[in-house]
Amino acid sequence: MNRKLIAAAGIAGIAALVLAGCSAATPAETGPVTITYSNFISNGGNEDNLAKIVAAFEKANPDITVKVTTLPYDSYGTALQTDLAAGTEADVFDINGPSAYGPLQTNGVLAALDGVDGSVYNTALLDSYATGGVQYGLPTSFSDVVLYYNKDLFDAAGVSYPTADWTWADETAAAQKLTDAAAGVWGDHQPVSYNEYYKVLVQNGETFLNADGTKVAFNTPGGIEAAHWLVDKSGTTMPTIDQGQGTADFDTNLFKDGKLAMLHTGIWVFGSFADTPANWDIAVEPGNTAVANAVFSNAVGVSANSKHHDAAQKWAEFLSSSDDEVNVRLDSGWELPTIADTAKLNTYLDKGKPANRQAVFDAAKNIAPAPSIGDAQSEMQDIITGELIEAQAGRETVEQALDNAETKINALLAG
Amino acid sequence: MADALLSGPLVRAPRSREANARLIGFILLHVVIIVGALIMFFPFLWTIITSITPGASLTNSPALIPANPSLDAYARLFAERPFAQVVLNSLLLAVVTTVVQLVTSSTAAYAFSRMPFRGRGVVFAVYLATMMIPLQVLIVPLFVELKTFHLLDTYLGALLPTFASAFGIFLLRQAIHQVPAELDEAATIDGAGHFRIFFGIILPNIRPALATLTVFSFMGSWNSFLWPLVVLRSPELQTLPIALAGLQGQFVSQWDVIMAGSVVSVIPMLALYIFAQKYVIQGVASSGIK
Amino acid sequence: MSVSTAQTSLVDRALPTIATPPRGRSRAVRTRYALTVLAFLLPSAIPLALFVLGPMIAALWVSLNKWNLLAPMKFIGLDNYAKLLTDPGTGEVFLHTVYYIVGYLPLVYIGGLGLALALNTALKGRSLLRGVYFLPVVTSWIVVALVWRWLLSPSSGVVNTVLGFFGIAGPGWWTDPTWAMPSIILASAWKDLGFVMIILLAGLQAISPDMYDAAKIDGAGWWRRLFSITLPLLSPSTFFVLVISLINGFQVFDQVYAMTGGGPNGASEVVVEQIYDLTFRYGKAGEASALSWMLFIVILAVTVIQVRGQRRWVTYG
Repeated sequence: MNRKLIAAAGIAGIAALVLAGCSAATPAETGPVTITYSNFISNGGNEDNLAKIVAAFEKANPDITVKVTTLPYDSYGTALQTDLAAGTEADVFDINGPSAYGPLQTNGVLAALDGVDGSVYNTALLDSYATGGVQYGLPTSFSDVVLYYNKDLFDAAGVSYPTADWTWADETAAAQKLTDAAAGVWGDHQPVSYNEYYKVLVQNGETFLNADGTKVAFNTPGGIEAAHWLVDKSGTTMPTIDQGQGTADFDTNLFKDGKLAMLHTGIWVFGSFADTPANWDIAVEPGNTAVANAVFSNAVGVSANSKHHDAAQKWAEFLSSSDDEVNVRLDSGWELPTIADTAKLNTYLDKGKPANRQAVFDAAKNIAPAPSIGDAQSEMQDIITGELIEAQAGRETVEQALDNAETKINALLAG
Repeated sequence: MADALLSGPLVRAPRSREANARLIGFILLHVVIIVGALIMFFPFLWTIITSITPGASLTNSPALIPANPSLDAYARLFAERPFAQVVLNSLLLAVVTTVVQLVTSSTAAYAFSRMPFRGRGVVFAVYLATMMIPLQVLIVPLFVELKTFHLLDTYLGALLPTFASAFGIFLLRQAIHQVPAELDEAATIDGAGHFRIFFGIILPNIRPALATLTVFSFMGSWNSFLWPLVVLRSPELQTLPIALAGLQGQFVSQWDVIMAGSVVSVIPMLALYIFAQKYVIQGVASSGIK
Repeated sequence: MSVSTAQTSLVDRALPTIATPPRGRSRAVRTRYALTVLAFLLPSAIPLALFVLGPMIAALWVSLNKWNLLAPMKFIGLDNYAKLLTDPGTGEVFLHTVYYIVGYLPLVYIGGLGLALALNTALKGRSLLRGVYFLPVVTSWIVVALVWRWLLSPSSGVVNTVLGFFGIAGPGWWTDPTWAMPSIILASAWKDLGFVMIILLAGLQAISPDMYDAAKIDGAGWWRRLFSITLPLLSPSTFFVLVISLINGFQVFDQVYAMTGGGPNGASEVVVEQIYDLTFRYGKAGEASALSWMLFIVILAVTVIQVRGQRRWVTYG
């Protein structure tokens, strides 16, 4: 199919050159078009759900056919980069969150999406895919990180459940009471990683980067305190790396086995916790001086080279905000849609465990903005995660780790 | 453990003190080999167990006997959209790659072993050098190249870069070097040319190496991930490793299905190996080496 | 078949066969010979030139540019090389890679040889056993890494439990910078034993049983026969295993990616992992290409040394 497409694109390209000689105006598209959409979001079980959305779109737009390509999540970035290098990217393609959006936008890969009705979207999510007031991507789904807790363990230890007013100190106090080494029960679990660190910085009134993004801003007393908040749980209220912390599924298995009282993780594990015998619920994560939450979103962008920009943008909007999309997502329990109209999301609230599903939406009201630095994004994330784990393992002090991270990342930012 | 290692069956040995020592060695050897085999087998066993444990996750210590064993994961695997198609695609690519590599490797190996020509050493060095650059850095230029040939998203595009293998050429060249030159000489005196020597003398004499290369070529294609991933995009063209990678989601993975997929992906290779090793061993009997 | 001293170097000496090039004969005969050589070589030469050498040269060009795959390339001459050569991180990833090879190679060769010798005997059920020992070779690294991480788990792993039984406090294995690479080496050697075994088994088939019979009549014991017959006659296969293992060893990636991801904090980061990250994650495809060419030069140099050295110990029949 691509072969034909490339041939077609080649012909279209020549035609465009000829046309450009005659007229500068882009002719309005007429006749049936086929656009391509490359995605990872449906991979691993939601392929049929995506097909339903495509069918609904094609029904509403009989002139447009969407040709879908689905790639494994882990390798999507490699395939997309290769396509972009060769100029063979799809008309519409998935963007794996704001951190992937940054480099794509900076390098002019994404087409500006004019005339999008922004009011239908959750503003904070929409804004993470805009640069200089111009929209370059549309959020298709989001998840956030909340605090899971095992009510049975709380009851047994006589500790009251987490509330929206909790701060770090409350969580620490509860975690210490809940930890029972003899019984193999741990009070708390929070990953030690970049994704947690930029968030807890905001929870402590700090930021990862300075205002103009030229230097890191975390190596401050507040930033050090935030790093301690992550690192110090290890070995006191949370298992150490040696005990298995940090390996795949370790934390969720511990929680499912009823050996973990509190767990910081995303709402994506609702499904796998459904059959857990324990009573559990969720709450918005406590902050220290501020409430801030990590929100992960996926988005779609339209290629700047797309020959069918209008049709592509139409599909991007449909995929991110149409009622058909919202319904498919809510019915199937796929990730949450990014629309503003909470009334449409109400069915989500009473879909069973956990009871406090409102916390999912409450968390999304205070989003800790993720730093975005363009090409060096992944390298920056790798550096800070690596250094924090050094501190967690006790091979460095927190202060040394942050000093090292500061030096390395500042060098990266300087280019 | 003495002679059992290198020589014929035990029964031939005369009854003596030496024979007793041999018997002890024989038993010891069996014990070591069998314990070793169990260790080698364990991860595969673990894969099988996980695959029949519904809703399995990666626990810290896998239960050796699953609570509610079920073949549900296999059913789900094959219910995955085009799973049977994916297996067939992989088979097709692997078979074509293997057959073509056997041809290109054996002919090149013959030239490098039996046909002197000026600059042969340099040419062989260049062949070997093609193995020395990591695939990761070739992906993008190769992709751009195949784009200009209009071969993206085609089987041919996936296959062409695998048609010649320096590994295979080197393997067979070493094997041909071991074929005694006297055999060629005799044939040459009988008036045989290179083609007859190649088909009539060399190929039959390197059967073990050909069988070995068959296994490796097939395995290389069957397991290859990065290149098929970028070059084959249409769902109907996808291969097994990519489909298996697709079972690992962004946040949650279905481990029982992934492990079922692993089991399914190992079986054809194991079958081929067991089939091929018959030829590896038979090689001696039919080779006429004296 | 003789344990001859008529050695052929990898590169330039031919076996003394009668089929020598028809030098000095008529032009027609020489042309026909040249065409025959081409007929044997072209089926492999064309794909290799088009699909490996071509992209290699393209990568050489990329290495002279600044390129993030997204924006157009910018020519910067040798800057990528200069940057890599002054970056201490480059030396480190090469060092880790060499560490891997030094640990892995003896383990896998000696293990594979022992296995090949043992499974080449009249062992009961040896077909089955050969299959079992080949299983890890065909099992995916994802699964192997999971299992080995579990076996080598610092607090609850089988290995440390057994060590503890003997009163030895086991190390942190893959969680500890000092032990991360040994963990990878152990798992890799275990996985590749069957690979070496099958090559050496094929090599053993080429040795005539008559050789052993003659040696036995001369009264040679097992070790004598191993060192005077088996190993010399197996040397072409051994040479192959060494060259291939070194080339592959320098390009070690999958197992590192699956077992430690290069951690903790870069302690097991190897060259190809760095190349992958630079290309696809860090937006530095030019630097990645430069690093690849540096790796290429190193592998080439090591291979040339091996080839030169083989004259002393590799014998062809």
